[in-house]
Amino acid sequence: MSQTPQGKPVPELTDLTRPFWTAAKQGKLVMQKCSQCGTLDFLPKPWCIECGHLDLEWVEVKPLGTVYSHSTARTVMMNYPAWKNDLPFVMCIIELDDGPRMYGQLTGCPPEKVRIGMRVEAWFEAVSAEAAVAKFRPV
Amino acid sequence: MKNSLRGAVAIVGYGRTPYSRAKPGERIRTVDQYIAWAAALALEKAGMSKQDFDGQGLGVSHAEASHTVNWSAAVAELLGITPRALIRGDQGGASAAAMLIRAAAMIQAGVVDRVLVVGADTPLTIPSIAPGLPLSPERTRGVFWEFQGPVGVMGANHQFGLVQTRYMHQYPLRSEQLGKIAVTTRYHASLHPGAIYRKPITLDDYLNSRVLSDPIRLLDCVPMVNGGLAYIVTSAETARTITDKPVYLLGCGEVSNYYSGSRMRPDITVTGFVQAAPEAFRMAGVQHEDIDVFEPYDDYPMIVLMQMEDYGFCKKGEGGKFVDEHDLTFKGDFPVSTDGGQLSGGQPGGAIGGFMPIAEAVTQLRGEAGERQVKGAVVAAASGFGGIPYARNARSCITLVLGSET
Ligand SMILES: [Zn+2]
Repeated sequence: MSQTPQGKPVPELTDLTRPFWTAAKQGKLVMQKCSQCGTLDFLPKPWCIECGHLDLEWVEVKPLGTVYSHSTARTVMMNYPAWKNDLPFVMCIIELDDGPRMYGQLTGCPPEKVRIGMRVEAWFEAVSAEAAVAKFRPV
Repeated sequence: MKNSLRGAVAIVGYGRTPYSRAKPGERIRTVDQYIAWAAALALEKAGMSKQDFDGQGLGVSHAEASHTVNWSAAVAELLGITPRALIRGDQGGASAAAMLIRAAAMIQAGVVDRVLVVGADTPLTIPSIAPGLPLSPERTRGVFWEFQGPVGVMGANHQFGLVQTRYMHQYPLRSEQLGKIAVTTRYHASLHPGAIYRKPITLDDYLNSRVLSDPIRLLDCVPMVNGGLAYIVTSAETARTITDKPVYLLGCGEVSNYYSGSRMRPDITVTGFVQAAPEAFRMAGVQHEDIDVFEPYDDYPMIVLMQMEDYGFCKKGEGGKFVDEHDLTFKGDFPVSTDGGQLSGGQPGGAIGGFMPIAEAVTQLRGEAGERQVKGAVVAAASGFGGIPYARNARSCITLVLGSET
């Protein structure tokens, strides 16, 4: 296993999730879109959560959104100790312009400056040979 | 929907083991031992024996420390019980409440007459296959961990911190109001020998406690413990032959994967209790003013406050004002978390804390709460709350209305 308690956790790619991580590695944000009803959704699901259609297409979404909520970690809890180096660590729920919400770390913004409604853009930090994690920064 | 479960079953016994913080030098019991201990306490309270459950029902909650597949059947083996029907609780902190509803439906259908429901966990001493691996938001790999762990989500503190920030953006809420909930649960814990943190705290202690994950402070967070709980539920008819203090299930309501608003952009300040609570109250035929004691799922003050609103005790967004206007102690006009809650009592793993509101509601309705007894309590509302869905608030929400009379 590539994950150790000492480092940060690295995603383990599966058939369900591989398109997301490999696209992120190429600097693109992709999500599943139902080929029957058009629903766009995140995180990856095994079928469309609206209509149950199995055929979901990975489409690129705009890497832009707003902060829906935020919480700054001052201590590492229930995750790997290496996050300690990132404290204080601003976690957000980002509302993407194209619709879905996702968890994402906000960088380049001191914790006291983060606000709900703040405009952000995604950037991608490589975490393995195959995968990158989407993070966000103010625009 | 048929309101068919009202008064069909009653709880006739309950047990809650002493909890442990697994400090050096303490005896470290296994999950198996806690299950048997809790079951023994419940059986003793009911005046029953384990043989009474051969050919009947056994309910077993999921536990982080469950160490085999088909855990519920394995627990039957460990306890030497040969049940006709097994119920497996798999809804996190809603498991205990869910198993009561399943048991009631099975009893009413005549499948069994009685069910022993057990749950225990040892989150502080889980025998790990990967030593040193910290507890994760989802504990195992899979899509939920993959999109939280590597992104840096720090478990419930972060998840609830995000809910609380959003709430405070939409509605007026002051830290002092959440602090009053924390101070009240600690006061109740000081009157409850089974609680893990019993030294009273002040509002200043709360406000000065370290911020772990804005706006969540140390004294907002549930402490993990090792421990176990159990209860026994029988048909109402049988209950009356067993005890002169049966506690009846009067109403129940349940929803999992509730969205407030659109699925793409739900309002995460609203939980599924807006659906579960009215359903339960309707079945029970009770109004809000009939509730003598409220035992919410109480691992964070914010979660308690949201339940006050979503149950309809006050309007959405007015939870802070409601807290200001009411005395939440056992002597007050709106007694909440009278056992000290999970917040001061301890949480025996994410799945087992959900037994505590049931155990305390039954304790109060039987008049067995000692120093913290709510005078004349005949109707209680208790919650199950299980799991945190991705970027939302509660996977399973269950409301139970319990009463000492049908
Ligand atoms: Zn669809």
